Amino acid sequence: MGDISYLLPLLFVGVGAVVLMLLSYTKSLSISSIAKIALGFLVLAFISNVYYFGELHKVYPYENVFFGMIVSDTYSVYFNSILLVGAIATILIGWDYFRPDRRFTGEFFSLLLFSTFGMMLLVQSAELLSAFIALEIASLSLYVMIGFQTDNIRRVEASYRYLVLGSLSGVLFLFGTALIYASTKTTFLGNIGVELLPQTGKDISLAIGGATLILITFLFKISAFPFQNWTIDVYDGSPLPVSAYMASTFKVAVFAFMLRFVAMDLGYIKDYWDGLLMGVIILTLAYGTFLALAQNNLKRMLASSSIVHTGYLLIAFVSIDIIGESASSSIIYYLIAYFLSAMGAFGLISYISSSDKLRLTYEDFKGFSHVRPYMSAMLSIFMLSLAGLPGTIGFIGKFYIFSGAIEAGYTVLATSAILATFISIYYYFKLIALMYFYPSPILSNVPPLKGLPPIFIGFIAIAVLWGGIGNTFIAFFPSIDFLIDVAKLSHRSLFLQ
Amino acid sequence: MSNSITAYMFLAMLLLSIGFLGVISRKNIFVIYMSIELMLNAVNLMFVALSRYNDLMSGQIIAMCIIAVATAEAGIFLSLIVVLYRRKKSLDSDIFNTLSQKEAL
Repeated sequence: MGDISYLLPLLFVGVGAVVLMLLSYTKSLSISSIAKIALGFLVLAFISNVYYFGELHKVYPYENVFFGMIVSDTYSVYFNSILLVGAIATILIGWDYFRPDRRFTGEFFSLLLFSTFGMMLLVQSAELLSAFIALEIASLSLYVMIGFQTDNIRRVEASYRYLVLGSLSGVLFLFGTALIYASTKTTFLGNIGVELLPQTGKDISLAIGGATLILITFLFKISAFPFQNWTIDVYDGSPLPVSAYMASTFKVAVFAFMLRFVAMDLGYIKDYWDGLLMGVIILTLAYGTFLALAQNNLKRMLASSSIVHTGYLLIAFVSIDIIGESASSSIIYYLIAYFLSAMGAFGLISYISSSDKLRLTYEDFKGFSHVRPYMSAMLSIFMLSLAGLPGTIGFIGKFYIFSGAIEAGYTVLATSAILATFISIYYYFKLIALMYFYPSPILSNVPPLKGLPPIFIGFIAIAVLWGGIGNTFIAFFPSIDFLIDVAKLSHRSLFLQ
Repeated sequence: MSNSITAYMFLAMLLLSIGFLGVISRKNIFVIYMSIELMLNAVNLMFVALSRYNDLMSGQIIAMCIIAVATAEAGIFLSLIVVLYRRKKSLDSDIFNTLSQKEAL
């Protein structure tokens, strides 16, 4: 087992994407067998990734080939596991959704694997240019995935909107890289930080500008306040499993890269951002909450509430230079919590709406519990977790973030986040109340729980509950403490030599 | 000014600003695409000039990689423009309003 073992997860996903692209050209395989092959490659990658899970290491594989542009450490292994689970979950919850009569073909799964490959590369990149290329691989495949059903004008328009704004933010990333390159003469993470040390006595204003432009790209990709307008339209316009994929995995990958960049290099520059980021957070929380309150369509509500969750995550991001290790571990834990709850909610809604083409609004769910009691129970669990009620994984995630913010002295931010949580209970619980407190159901032609997706969604629901109450029942089965410990370990692995 | 980097940087910034203005003010989706390409090439110029100024080769390699990425982006942009044009018979971005937020509010 040499250097290759560290690159195996990337290789499996990348080679799998190319193989699927070639296979789908022949048209001899059915779409479900192509989905099975894609699943096989992802599971292989996951197994080869889990081999190093929780082991403290930092390796630059094939340093004479890649010159340290790609890194493999505990941190990247942790995030790769989340991304791979996200891709596997997307295929499983969309098992009934991706059908030939909806114009899905084998190429779609190839693009899914390409996009996962790009995100994993983004997590593993230790250089700004390779990060840009990885970001573009991930987003270019996503643009096509969103607009894959070309007969539906909503899909194509969503894809176009995302494409224009996404490439604009990509250009800003490059511009920022150019400014940093002008100031420090290097694009390698780690070296940039050394050049920016105050001891060198250099004027670093160019680097501050460049880093701020990269921060803007980051805020755009995670849909924070001034750059949030695309989110609702794009999530609404794209197929539901793709919305789930975007909401859960892309945000994780972008956060992973930015955390690495800030933790390794921008310790001094981050002080200039504090006021800026505080404004961004408060406005993100306020505006996201306002948008979520105004929506009647369920998919748009979940999209706008994802803006609010971005606000919570940014709070931990601000406090990272004061309480480094616990802040980054709370970000990682919250990302897992949001990932599970959002994936479950989007997946269940895509399963409910997969029988016909209706767009689900709140009113459609009146009395839903009388037709499908188990589905309403699962949907309630996901809503409770998104709102952050005790007993679910969402509560633990919020608890770590808010207590970290108070510990770091950002009481204002913690207060406004708690206020946003209070208000969020309205739009999450409205759904639960409508499902249980109306006598006669409106939706009657919902498919019963059958096949792969409901089993998997039920599994996610159990994981959401397990993450909330886990260790109190069985001490040695991996749960909260284990995840938090490994997250702390992975933060430490960033600073290994 | 012959031996200085200021002229190159000034030109690159000018191109970048023209591209940015084009993205935010033009209605034609083809012109928007060309403005984004203009911005990418402005960044390329910046990298090449910086790498020559500092006697480093890395900037030129970065520029080559950016050209490759821009080509991939062009493929997706042009195919999407074709799909949109077939449907609406127009390239005006104002008529792509199926996903407007007013509908939901």
